[in-house]
Amino acid sequence: MATQDTYNYSVVRQFSVMTIIWGVVGMLVGVLIAAQMAWPVLNFDTPWLTFSRLRPLHTNAVIFAFGGSALFATSYYVVQRTCHTRLFAPGLAAFTFWGWQLVIVLAAISLPLGYTTSKEYAELEWPIDILITLVWVSYAVVFFGTIFKRKVQHIYVANWFFGAFIITVAILHLGNSAALPVSFTKSYSVYSGAQDAMVQWWYGHNAVGFFLTAGFLGMMYYFIPKQAERPVYSYRLSVVHFWALVFTYIWAGPHHLHYTALPDWTQSVGMVFSLILLAPSWGGMINGIMTLSGAWQKLRSDPILRFLIVSVSFYGMSTFEGPMMSIKTVNALSHYTDWTIGHVHSGALGWVALVSMGSMYYLIPRLFNREIYSVKLIEVHFWVATIGIILYITSMWVSGVMQGLMWRAVNPDGTLTYSFVESVQAMHPFYIVRWLGGTFFLLGMLIMAYNVFKTIKGATPAEAAIPAPAH
Amino acid sequence: MVLEHVWGLITHPKEEWKDIRDQRCSVTRCYCSHVLFLAAIPAVAGFIGTSQVGWSVAGDLPVKLEAGSALRISIAFYFAMLVTVFAIGKMVHWMGQTYGAEQTLPQCIALAAYTATPLFLVGVMMIYPIPWLDFLAGIIALSYTVYLLYLGLPIMMQVDQDKGFLFSSAVLAVGLVMLVGLMATSVILWSTGMGPAFMR
Repeated sequence: MATQDTYNYSVVRQFSVMTIIWGVVGMLVGVLIAAQMAWPVLNFDTPWLTFSRLRPLHTNAVIFAFGGSALFATSYYVVQRTCHTRLFAPGLAAFTFWGWQLVIVLAAISLPLGYTTSKEYAELEWPIDILITLVWVSYAVVFFGTIFKRKVQHIYVANWFFGAFIITVAILHLGNSAALPVSFTKSYSVYSGAQDAMVQWWYGHNAVGFFLTAGFLGMMYYFIPKQAERPVYSYRLSVVHFWALVFTYIWAGPHHLHYTALPDWTQSVGMVFSLILLAPSWGGMINGIMTLSGAWQKLRSDPILRFLIVSVSFYGMSTFEGPMMSIKTVNALSHYTDWTIGHVHSGALGWVALVSMGSMYYLIPRLFNREIYSVKLIEVHFWVATIGIILYITSMWVSGVMQGLMWRAVNPDGTLTYSFVESVQAMHPFYIVRWLGGTFFLLGMLIMAYNVFKTIKGATPAEAAIPAPAH
Repeated sequence: MVLEHVWGLITHPKEEWKDIRDQRCSVTRCYCSHVLFLAAIPAVAGFIGTSQVGWSVAGDLPVKLEAGSALRISIAFYFAMLVTVFAIGKMVHWMGQTYGAEQTLPQCIALAAYTATPLFLVGVMMIYPIPWLDFLAGIIALSYTVYLLYLGLPIMMQVDQDKGFLFSSAVLAVGLVMLVGLMATSVILWSTGMGPAFMR
């Protein structure tokens, strides 16, 4: 059969295009809720436009719709290319695309209507959770099926990261979302009290560790060497930090629950593992930076490399910041403040979004057999996005530390120096700067969408023949 | 000469970087003519601003720090700045091998010291603290600092422009990491008895 000789790019194309579209949507919602923090009147007294309902919509849209589509697209591309074989079970692969899009649409409808489990990053109600499970199991079958029928003996390290991400997210989702339905739209967690909180943050932190880190490291290990046209700096390091990372991440969840009803020793274990986590995280960063550093000659003509190098730098910074914030003494000040929000976004915007954008700029011209419409616009996007990130995280650092200090300030007679609303009032200028930073970042995403649209308009889908593996 | 490069780094930074490079001054001289003075600006301004002037966050009576508390924090801050400049210079020197730069440690420390000039200067704003205004001024100073870094690094380290971009990005990442490290250290110190004592 002729089709057996080419890679399956159609599902990769679909997910790539949706990555861009969901990126615009998710970031737009983010900018709106950032504006609501500065100007609360912007919820127009409409229940489905309130911050509380749009915030989970924003997180679901950027993590699972934008980030998820990017992960599907890149993992399907990488696993085929590095295994020298066509994607296993094309029908199932098509199902993962349409099923995942349906999940996103259902989230976009149900969250503003107020249907929620109230579990952070797992707000979707049980019927949608079942659909997610079906899609995810299909994803695992397609991915591991492709690995199983590979034409080369070695399994490239990027696939290890993608594989760990797929397996662990499946376990996390099943564990955390276990619930007793009371009606079609309402369910209650099977866990109670502090255990429910512990399971929730076992899930929540590993959603960061595996969805937003391991999967994107898989992306990094394919697209950075490809774009730099250099081998991975140290393959041995990549394997060592893979095992160290997957072992350590799983234990770090309790740092989200410092000084709560969780047993104190559990919090300390979480803190210690979070500190250890710095080593495998930096193993990945060093490998990425050193691989890119050999390609400095290409930098002037290649703005994609800039996305990749800055993303790895932000990965290094935020994986240093995370362990610092998990120290109980630091957390006593930083917890519940904007410092946390800034930290999340230095990872989400700086690392996850930039590495996805760099990968998409690599991928899309190859999937549509076209040169990118404008290299200049990639460069503009890079600078606009970087300025946006800097505005975002610096404003959140300042407002976060101010909040922490104001909340704990006491007068000599023991009364609080500030009321809560005074601290809210003091945040106003920083919320405006944060909104501005987010707007810059969204603007960059719109520039990318325009550039991609002009690139693929009228293009014919590319077919790529599978080369014989070199032994 | 004391503080001879400050004005030049603002008006004609490129030529000034070349002057600094060709001067090849020692670590002691770099500190005595530049860092020790400039780092005093934010420390002294911070002391006056927090203990004498005070700041008001929510439009009410100004808050001040007790003089003794402000003094301890300012002195710690001063030494933290001196150490940070040295540490970043040391990191530049260490990373230099990767990027094919064979500069001496004093040159690397000079790069760190002179790059930080705008941040030292903007510290004067703390003499009359208005949080949002100081933040805006800080952002502008930070942007100029980043510009000085990207401009000055290839000149000081005598590397190719493109290599310089990578090298500068790595230095920027190190700077951000050290900033976060300083934030965490301060919070730990505050919580272990060195905390600021407020008056209102």
